[in-house]
Amino acid sequence: MIDSSGAHVVLASSSDENHPPENITDGNNKTFWMSTGMFPQEFIIRFPETTNISTVTMDSYNIKHLKIERNTSPNAANFEPVTQEEIEQTEGHLQLNSISLKGCRATHLRFIVTEGYDHFVSVHRISVKT
Amino acid sequence: MVKLRAKCLLLGDAAVGKSSLSHIFYNDGSLFQKNYSLTTGVELVMKCINIPETNDSVELYILDTAGKETLAEGCEKMWGEPSLLCLVFDLTSEQSFANCTCWMERVQAHCKGLRVPGVLVGNKSDLSARREVQASVAEEWAQSKGLEYHETSAKEMVNCDAPLLSLAQSFYSLYQEQREIMQNLGPG
Ligand SMILES: Nc1nc2c(ncn2[C@@H]2O[C@H](COP(=O)(O)OP(=O)(O)O)[C@@H](O)[C@H]2O)c(=O)[nH]1
Ligand SMILES: [Mg+2]
Repeated sequence: MIDSSGAHVVLASSSDENHPPENITDGNNKTFWMSTGMFPQEFIIRFPETTNISTVTMDSYNIKHLKIERNTSPNAANFEPVTQEEIEQTEGHLQLNSISLKGCRATHLRFIVTEGYDHFVSVHRISVKT
Repeated sequence: MVKLRAKCLLLGDAAVGKSSLSHIFYNDGSLFQKNYSLTTGVELVMKCINIPETNDSVELYILDTAGKETLAEGCEKMWGEPSLLCLVFDLTSEQSFANCTCWMERVQAHCKGLRVPGVLVGNKSDLSARREVQASVAEEWAQSKGLEYHETSAKEMVNCDAPLLSLAQSFYSLYQEQREIMQNLGPG
């Protein structure tokens, strides 16, 4: 099942009023969260309950290197690494990423962008397959 | 309203006036933080610049690198990926201007293909009798490197805000450009 309903962003390292982090989980890839400069950048997504996640689908732009961490705690703390990805550059269209998390259990997922192809990166939509 | 953040490297030979300039940014009464690390020889000054005719601003995290050669290696590790460059020379020292070429080469290795806007600053404009570098020469070199040229006097506090405003505006333009692209992306 593909689901982003109920999941929401609880923290983001930067925010532009016009492109807030809520845009990541609104299911619409026309709206986006945009970083406001410097790396690393991060945001944390909380699920309504602890969930087994097989795949994360992320539509983004300008992201070069991404790390994903998880926890199974009710608080957004004590994360452990799950995976990291080198993402290819695209021009004029979204980066469509499908990242396998191998059924890992998580209450929160933390996304850390350590490098970009530009000073500014955007994330347009994230959904998870359980 | 958006507040952008940029890491700005302040570079140039020892004694050209980098620390004097960054102390002016620090002392002008606006909101800032200051931090000095003896171990790395890098001083951090934060300065917020409002973009004229908007509600937007850019927070510049200015890293003042110690000019002493012994510390330069350690400093390079602190450079990371810069957002902006402020390259300073002393208008009364031809040598400090000539060395700007080396500074540019050294920093380029850290930019990893990112477009990093920069300014060239000729400081100590108050010492006009001892001037060794003509504005036209500096201007021409700056243009060839894609830098905007400014002359300042940290001693008499002349024109010191101009380089920062120019850097903030360049960064803001890059932001607007990317935002425009992001709003019009195809589905992939
Ligand atoms: N006349 C004059 N002296 C300056 C100016 N800026 C800095 N200085 C002097 O130049 C020397 C070196 O300045 P400093 O800021 O420490 O240079 P840094 O090594 O590049 O950080 C000090 O004695 C300053 O007082 C200026 O605009 N005019
Ligand atoms: Mg100094």
